[in-house]
Amino acid sequence: MFAPLYVEIAKLNRSLALALAGLAPGLIAVFVFFNALRMRQALPWEMWMMQGAGVWAFFMLPMSVTALTALIAHMEHGPKSWDHLRALPVPRWRIYAAKAFCVLGLVAIMSAAVPTLIWAVLEAATVIKPAAGPTGMIDWAEVAALLGRMYLAALLLIAIQLWVALRFSSFVPALATGIGGTFFAVVATSAKKGVFLPWQMPVNMLATEAWRWQTALALGCGGGLLVLMLMLISLSRRETT
Amino acid sequence: MSPAIETHVLTRRFGRMLAVDGVSMTVPEQAVYGFLGRNGAGKTTTLKMLLGLLKPSAGRAVVGGIDVAADRIAAARKVGALLEAHGFYANLSGRENLDLTRRLLGLPASEIDRVLAVVEMTGDAGRRVGGYSLGMRQRLGLARAMLGAPPVLILDEPTNGLDPDGIADMRHFLRDLPGRTGATVLLSSHLLGEIEQTASHVGVIHAGRLVLEGELTALRAGVAARIAVRATDAKAALALARSKGLQAAVEHGEVVVALAPGEAVERASVDLNRALIQAGVDVIAIGPRARSLEGLYRQVTAVEAQKEAA
Repeated sequence: MFAPLYVEIAKLNRSLALALAGLAPGLIAVFVFFNALRMRQALPWEMWMMQGAGVWAFFMLPMSVTALTALIAHMEHGPKSWDHLRALPVPRWRIYAAKAFCVLGLVAIMSAAVPTLIWAVLEAATVIKPAAGPTGMIDWAEVAALLGRMYLAALLLIAIQLWVALRFSSFVPALATGIGGTFFAVVATSAKKGVFLPWQMPVNMLATEAWRWQTALALGCGGGLLVLMLMLISLSRRETT
Repeated sequence: MSPAIETHVLTRRFGRMLAVDGVSMTVPEQAVYGFLGRNGAGKTTTLKMLLGLLKPSAGRAVVGGIDVAADRIAAARKVGALLEAHGFYANLSGRENLDLTRRLLGLPASEIDRVLAVVEMTGDAGRRVGGYSLGMRQRLGLARAMLGAPPVLILDEPTNGLDPDGIADMRHFLRDLPGRTGATVLLSSHLLGEIEQTASHVGVIHAGRLVLEGELTALRAGVAARIAVRATDAKAALALARSKGLQAAVEHGEVVVALAPGEAVERASVDLNRALIQAGVDVIAIGPRARSLEGLYRQVTAVEAQKEAA
């Protein structure tokens, strides 16, 4: 299993997918930085972290996953390398599992980068404008738990996006699915049924009602693992013509 | 000696279309087997079944004695493949691309240098594949197929995109490969000349059916000899040949006369030359035409086309 995983990671070298993984949390950090500079009074760290996590879960996470999965799948679709990979004496499910681990790893790194970069840019903003310096202390355990829950709740949307991206050689189905899912997640943010929409499950981790975040977490995590398994079975058996 | 590759009534349908129709082919060990057919004849579909990329609708594909459908991974260990779509990652160097496959195959790092040296790509291996010419990609693909020195190489259109020097190098390389490494080479092509100059064995696929197979020299020997005549008046030469009961036709400005099987070509040339001169037809050149694979190919595909029309 380690060889396919190493190979997937090596393919990211000098790739657009790796650039995207840095860009998405970076954009949130840029937004937070300029937002901090325009503030007339200091806000607590907790508020900044919640704001960053909210932007991440609400929009940037589903859109990043859409783009990331499409780019990673296109690394094979573009040069038509599936036949080469599938003809090798390696169980095919391992090749797809390595791709899934790679995507999950990148999203985990991006999730961790969000609060880390927010901390860094706010420290920088404090140097430029001391009055903007956040107040209080960062509760890193709470921040990590929140982003961890968002990550687990996002498993279902990651699995769906990855499956569509790997299944179709064109960018269009994967992008249409991601844009469509994110669109409905945004326009129906407060809808009760939104808890069942994969693209809205991560942002539901900010819900104050316990049933809501618990349901989204269970569905997102459990459903994600189930869909990932089905994806491995389906793609391994599928013929490429 | 058991064959390196065998198929038994291999068949593949795509919906209502029969792409490969009961192909039973035999590739002997250490042969260079030219798999010839026009585009869409079923070559790539057959190769994909040999590689386990497509499942046969019926029949069996056996590589190195292993049934591909029964144990794809064991069969794949015996094969290195160069497919039409190379599948290289443009953002990585040639060496890095080879390293990905090497790791998946669990081979030592020294394998990369070995195969790069074989295809004479050592100097360019550090460059990104995105900057490679098509010919360089083809050679890199060949290097990748040879990782781990598999006993069978399956090459789909290996001279595609090569310049004339590259084509000649590739021919020499493939022709010598069984002698140097003991490998068996199955190469597909739609180019008659390429197969004729490279292969020891040939299989012709037409509309999904294998219509001809055998050792190239034996097949050529079975072709009726032909005489080519270049005359100042081709029409008169043609009429005269036909009046003598010979099968004749004009091809590229020459009158080509097909002899009966076993008929001595030298004697027939002398007789025809004398008859032409006596009839007042000036002969510029006359002589036996080489028994070519093209003649054989035209013969079998014409028969198949007649069958289809009937």
